[in-house]
Amino acid sequence: MANLFGYIDPGSGSLFLQALAGGVAAVGVFLKVYWRRLKRFLHIGKPEDESSESSPS
Amino acid sequence: MTDAAGTLSGLEPGSFRDPDSRVFTSDGRVLRLLSEQGLADWRQLASSPLFQELVGEGRLVATEELVERAAFPDAIHGGVAGVLEHDVIPFVSYPYEWSFEMLRDAALLQLGILRRALESGMVLKDSTPYNVQFRGAAPVFIDVGSFEPLREGEPWAGYRQFCMLFLYPLLLQAWKDVPFQPWLRGSLNGITPQEIRNLLSLRDRFRRGTLTHVVLHARLEQRYEEKEADAKDELKKAGFKHELIVANVKGLEKLIRRLEWKQGSTVWTDYGLETTYSADDAERKARFVTHAAASELPHLVWDIGCNEGVHSRIAADYADHVVAMDADAAVVDRLYRKLRDENDRKILPLNVNIVDPPPALGWSGSERQHLPKRGRPDLTLCLALIHHVSIGGNVPVAEFLEWLRVNTGSLVIEWVAPEDPMAHRLLARKGPGEHPDYRTDWFERCLAERFDVVRSEVLAEGKRTLYLARSKA
Repeated sequence: MANLFGYIDPGSGSLFLQALAGGVAAVGVFLKVYWRRLKRFLHIGKPEDESSESSPS
Repeated sequence: MTDAAGTLSGLEPGSFRDPDSRVFTSDGRVLRLLSEQGLADWRQLASSPLFQELVGEGRLVATEELVERAAFPDAIHGGVAGVLEHDVIPFVSYPYEWSFEMLRDAALLQLGILRRALESGMVLKDSTPYNVQFRGAAPVFIDVGSFEPLREGEPWAGYRQFCMLFLYPLLLQAWKDVPFQPWLRGSLNGITPQEIRNLLSLRDRFRRGTLTHVVLHARLEQRYEEKEADAKDELKKAGFKHELIVANVKGLEKLIRRLEWKQGSTVWTDYGLETTYSADDAERKARFVTHAAASELPHLVWDIGCNEGVHSRIAADYADHVVAMDADAAVVDRLYRKLRDENDRKILPLNVNIVDPPPALGWSGSERQHLPKRGRPDLTLCLALIHHVSIGGNVPVAEFLEWLRVNTGSLVIEWVAPEDPMAHRLLARKGPGEHPDYRTDWFERCLAERFDVVRSEVLAEGKRTLYLARSKA
């Protein structure tokens, strides 16, 4: 993966939390994380190319 | 790294965590070795207007890239690609020696720099108060190696560290009136989300900021402790943007600005007002310190038991830097606020109890240094202190003077005789004969064995005596 985090462990929980601590727009992102998980669980939608979205660093 | 130990001797022992950047000192200069990635990040920062602004405002340590490349230790895995030189910080201090207001100012500095970095397409890769130092009463961000290019869609990697080392310690003190210093001294990583959650009461849970930064944070952390999740990838695909980090940072700034430590009146905060000194004696004492500072012309002064900082200020007129230490956090907080309002750049107030001084901490016991290792004072002031050390703290008079002999050049020490009301009060709390060495003749003998006494002056009708003395090698 091209864009790893730095030398500290940011903690997965602390990262997801930031989709709650950034105001209304952030909560939208948080809900979307769960919406995507639900879709994936129900096998709805087209399969994704996992590597296509990593941005250059 | 395959270097011989000798070539690594100048490396700053606390700087090993970031593989792209390593600090080392050489002949009093502070240099930073960079990896290829570190060098690229530095050049992006150096070419941005933000860098000039932050340095100009005194918020970021002045830094230059060096052209010379010889004789630098090969302490970067993959090779040293570049070297920077930083302005020297006069005396290194750590968050467990700061007062509430100092940690708060350091937190706001960190957040302000992060917010502005985000607006300039950069981010800080960590969020630790060890990246902040004080020049007098002014905080300055020292970790130039912390800046890196922003990768859109990624959350703030340093958020957890910010909470553990800045936010939770401040909440602990503001909301529970529990001093954060022992917690930060106890763990260099700070307080975890679960720990602070367990410390807060039901009422605290309704305070602003608790729900997200503490309660939900702790819950999410517990939830993902065992579970594999690519948080970064999931957030990115759900549309996470750097504006959300900015919003979070602004929220944290607001929260931290509103925190307040309502310290009660401690024994010492009122001390300046009720000393046993007559006005005449106080003036003679000030004059004695003035003459001592003028004759010793010290680079660095320690004022141990500084209280209101009256004598630190006198010494600062003749010295380059003064470290004003007191065991009472409220006293230090008050002194810091005053110095900050005066824009002081010479006097560094620290919350230090000299009977239990900050030890060497961290990896190999050298990541954070023992107090005397951070700069030997040319002059130390111990005014109205020895009765607290020797009677209150039970340190034998001879041992205290020996410690001073080893750790200072010159010394101004005030002997507080057992007949003095303050010493008498402390002695009265102990059993009879508990401090057989607390005697004027014994003190003078111990002092003369370890120091050359230059002059002395009797105050308070013989109950107190000031000495200027120079340490015997």
